[in-house]
Amino acid sequence: MRGIVFNIQPYSLHDGPGIRTIVFLKGCPLACGWCSNPESQKPYPEVYYDREKCIYDKKCEFCKKLCDINDFSAKRINGDLKGRCEAFRDICPTGALDIYGKEMTVGEVMDRVENDSAFYSHGGGGLTLSGGEPFMQGEFAIEILREAKKRRINTAAETCGFCDREILRQGAKLLDYILFDIKLMDAERHILHTGMSNKLILENLEMLFDEFPRLHKHIRTPVIPSVNDNEEDISRIKKYLEGRNNYSYELLPYHRFGERKYELLERQYGDYEKKLDDSLFERLKSL
Amino acid sequence: MAESSVKEYSPQELRIKNKSSFANKRAGRILEGFQGSRPVIDIERGRYFTESFKQTEGQPLILRWAKALYHYAENASVYVDDDQLIAGRAGREGRYGILYPELDGDFLDEAIKSLPERDSSPFDITDEDAQYIINEISPYWKGKTYHEALAAALPEDTVRYTFNNDEEKSSRFIVNETSSFRSSIQWVHDYEKPLTIGFNGIKREAGEKLAALDEFSPVDNTEKKPFLEAIIITADAIILWAKRHAELAEKKAAEEVNAKRRAELLEIARICRKVPAEPADSFYEAVQSQWFIQLFSRIEQKTGTIISNGRMDQYLYPYYEADKEKGLIDEDMAEELLECVWVSMAQYIDLYLSKAGGAFNEGYAHWEAVTIGGQTPDGQDAVNELTYIFLRSKREFPLNYPDLATRIHARSPKRYLYEVAETIKDGSGFPKLINDEEVIPLLLAKGAQFEEAYDYSVSGCAECRMPNRDTYTSPCAYINFAAALEMTIYNGKMRKYGDEVIGLQTGEVEDYESFDEFLEAYLKQQKNFMKHAFIQQHEIIRLRAEHFASPLGSSLHKLCMEQLKDIHSPKIEGGIDLGYFEFIGYGTVIDSLAAIKKVVFEDKRITFAQLKEAMENNFEGYEPIRQLVRNAPAYGNNEPYADEIGKLLDRELLEYTKKYSKELGVHLDLRYVPFTSNVPFGKVVSATPNGRLEYLPLSDGSSASQGADKNGPTAILLSNYATKNYDFRNRAARLLNIKLNPQCVKGEEGTEKLVDFIKTWCDLKLWHMQFNIINRETLIAAQENPDAYRNLLVRVAGYSAYFCELSKDLQDDIISRNEHIAV
Repeated sequence: MRGIVFNIQPYSLHDGPGIRTIVFLKGCPLACGWCSNPESQKPYPEVYYDREKCIYDKKCEFCKKLCDINDFSAKRINGDLKGRCEAFRDICPTGALDIYGKEMTVGEVMDRVENDSAFYSHGGGGLTLSGGEPFMQGEFAIEILREAKKRRINTAAETCGFCDREILRQGAKLLDYILFDIKLMDAERHILHTGMSNKLILENLEMLFDEFPRLHKHIRTPVIPSVNDNEEDISRIKKYLEGRNNYSYELLPYHRFGERKYELLERQYGDYEKKLDDSLFERLKSL
Repeated sequence: MAESSVKEYSPQELRIKNKSSFANKRAGRILEGFQGSRPVIDIERGRYFTESFKQTEGQPLILRWAKALYHYAENASVYVDDDQLIAGRAGREGRYGILYPELDGDFLDEAIKSLPERDSSPFDITDEDAQYIINEISPYWKGKTYHEALAAALPEDTVRYTFNNDEEKSSRFIVNETSSFRSSIQWVHDYEKPLTIGFNGIKREAGEKLAALDEFSPVDNTEKKPFLEAIIITADAIILWAKRHAELAEKKAAEEVNAKRRAELLEIARICRKVPAEPADSFYEAVQSQWFIQLFSRIEQKTGTIISNGRMDQYLYPYYEADKEKGLIDEDMAEELLECVWVSMAQYIDLYLSKAGGAFNEGYAHWEAVTIGGQTPDGQDAVNELTYIFLRSKREFPLNYPDLATRIHARSPKRYLYEVAETIKDGSGFPKLINDEEVIPLLLAKGAQFEEAYDYSVSGCAECRMPNRDTYTSPCAYINFAAALEMTIYNGKMRKYGDEVIGLQTGEVEDYESFDEFLEAYLKQQKNFMKHAFIQQHEIIRLRAEHFASPLGSSLHKLCMEQLKDIHSPKIEGGIDLGYFEFIGYGTVIDSLAAIKKVVFEDKRITFAQLKEAMENNFEGYEPIRQLVRNAPAYGNNEPYADEIGKLLDRELLEYTKKYSKELGVHLDLRYVPFTSNVPFGKVVSATPNGRLEYLPLSDGSSASQGADKNGPTAILLSNYATKNYDFRNRAARLLNIKLNPQCVKGEEGTEKLVDFIKTWCDLKLWHMQFNIINRETLIAAQENPDAYRNLLVRVAGYSAYFCELSKDLQDDIISRNEHIAV
């Protein structure tokens, strides 16, 4: 079985117990304007172009046969090619012009993950499946988790919750830990900021609480200026979770580390305040 | 992904930002008196040794050495510093360096002129002292030093790789011998013996053996008798020297108006009258005795990287435990006494006269390793209360002395691992970690008994020694294999040395039709370097015994005292001779070969001629080619493409030493520990096929090339694992630098994950590991504004040094090591 992976990241410390390796699957049903991984959103490989890294002015002609770099538009190329952009891989010596996303088999993915297994033996580390939304490539995600279990590797997944209920159920059976995002309780504003309603997300979470009482749920809210950086929204989420079992809750501070990647894909970054107010964040954490 | 938007700083960074001081501590106040001052040369050691040697010509060498030590002990200035609880220094107030003219004094007169000005590790000297050296010391040694003897003894062919053809026979940094800038490799004594029986006990032992000699035996009369006489004279010397400290302390006490200090001085006097002559009976006495012994050992000879301190938490523990039971001491008092030793250590600066020695040991390098943790001789965990006091001292008073080495094993207790991790998190580079699970099996494989192997001490940078079993002291070769690569590309030449053909003429790059052909040519050059390194070593082993003796060191070694032989003798029965040779530029060579393989032969993106042309131009005007090779597979990423090449290079060297070290009668094992030599070695190597620009530093130790490690620190560990040939016992230390951003180790969770990382390193049987926990911007800020960062310690190569005391080249090298940020 094959799927589109856009990164495999060893030495991950903040996404589940122990030292973990994250597998990022490409494609997400939501379209959050603040997304720190814009390259994760489309479900197919995409060409990107980083003008700052490009050395066409230093007589570099390695991509000459493929395109006219002076007139290059990632947006146009991706629109035209719709993922059929393999020719752009490994051409550019600086990595200014390359591809986000690569087709890999379950075996290839898991060999890479198992490579780091020495680090999983202590502290309960293992695989974290992330995205995008990992359960969007549902069968591929399930196969990876199944293979991980077969290789006795601890499993975690990071999900936005917007995914097929049955896939999530199958996934949850194979998971040791789940990281689940809630952005807003308000359905209207959820649609406004993510493009989708939170109805399915909350129902999916209910399902996890109901059917998987032994699965630890780590619920996270990215705090985004002018979206949910207020006491009311955060309190609503906390209140919703109150009294439930086997979960933890964490607020993630907004950052703009992903902003440059928007430029490389010629996409528009959402219109948000530059910076989250530190003291406000501290106050929200202590609610 | 959870990434904090809030910057994290290490405790060290916060201290510098807040301008904190350690003035609340006794040792902190002493430190303020000398910190940051330029070291000064003290000529007394050089002077008294020279005076004595002039009187003893023709006598057995060990006797001459003992008499020189006695002459020093009788005449040299002694010191009891204000506020100090521990007496003794080997030179004037402030930071000082001392002279060992018997080693390389032939260019002493020339060297002292340049010492104040040189970039790396400069020293000051007074005009009067400089004149004394020029007129009295240097002339005597010309024609007599070890350095000259070696230069004369090496075959012409080998000299070409070793020395420049100049008057001082300076290093060529290709196949670099290190025996002429130190008289022994790193070493550690059995300190337990003098603490237990005292030097009067050693005198008794020697006296009995003297009485038992065969009065008719020529060997006993000409070899064993002088040896034992030397042991007795040396014991008398150190006892006399300690007594002179007692007298000084008494004199100072008589003049002291402050009653508390007067009492302290009288206690110092009492102790110095007692130890090291007699056994120590308290923690304080043991600490003072040990300091006298190691300091006198520093006076005796220039042990490379400074005499190590052994397993201090083990041999001092019985004294601590007994005192504690009697209510005589608590943790704070023990810590204060140890820190008084640390600041005394910090004032002795290892002086290297030669440019090579200075460049190898930048930032006043020192590795007087204190070993803690590990296992007891019977294989149980060895951690005790004192172990934690050493760690606490490093957190509360993070001076760069002593070099602290923690032994880790599979069953190290959790508290120990966590406290080690907490200490690493401070950010000043301590402790370094040494892995019992790798070291002990190798010591066993080389013939050690279990109880000896379990009881090893870390010595120097990353070596491990068994104090009563190791007998090899000859300094070893550091080999610039990036130069071998350059010679493969330029058909035996190096751009630095123009048209001179130095290496083998293996062919022109245009003629290679496959990567394997080129690799074969490189391996020929590599083997040729080994040949010259081993020729060097053969001569070094032969010559050293004629130039150096160590009666003090020999008196503390069981085998020497059994066979009545000096520790520098070429062969001591029953000894295990653990030497090594260094691979310098491992990452640079692997990445270069991987780049050639991938870009030229496999993908055919450019021709070899094009690559060579780009290199000849230092990649100026060839940026696309440079980028192409820089992005080729590289060592340190846990990718088989590069790692398989690394493993092959390692294996070829192991095969060579397996075959030929027998002829030398020693284990000459493959090691990857550079000191700071990757900087001067880089200065002779032009642009390399991995895109490294000309004359920049080579990669250090077994770390990845600067910036080449893109997959994080777990991948670096795994690449190290993958490139090792565990089927050979001919391997020694691999030094591994890991640089982490403080954000990776934030909070209790960060500590836990650092412990996980350390445990995995232990599982992987990697030898050594050390950390810098720092923000890159802090290093850059320190480079721009050194005054504000005077106290900033960084891990260099098995030691920590003040960042601002390093040369610009080395600072840049440290900045360019990849900093890992976790996602």
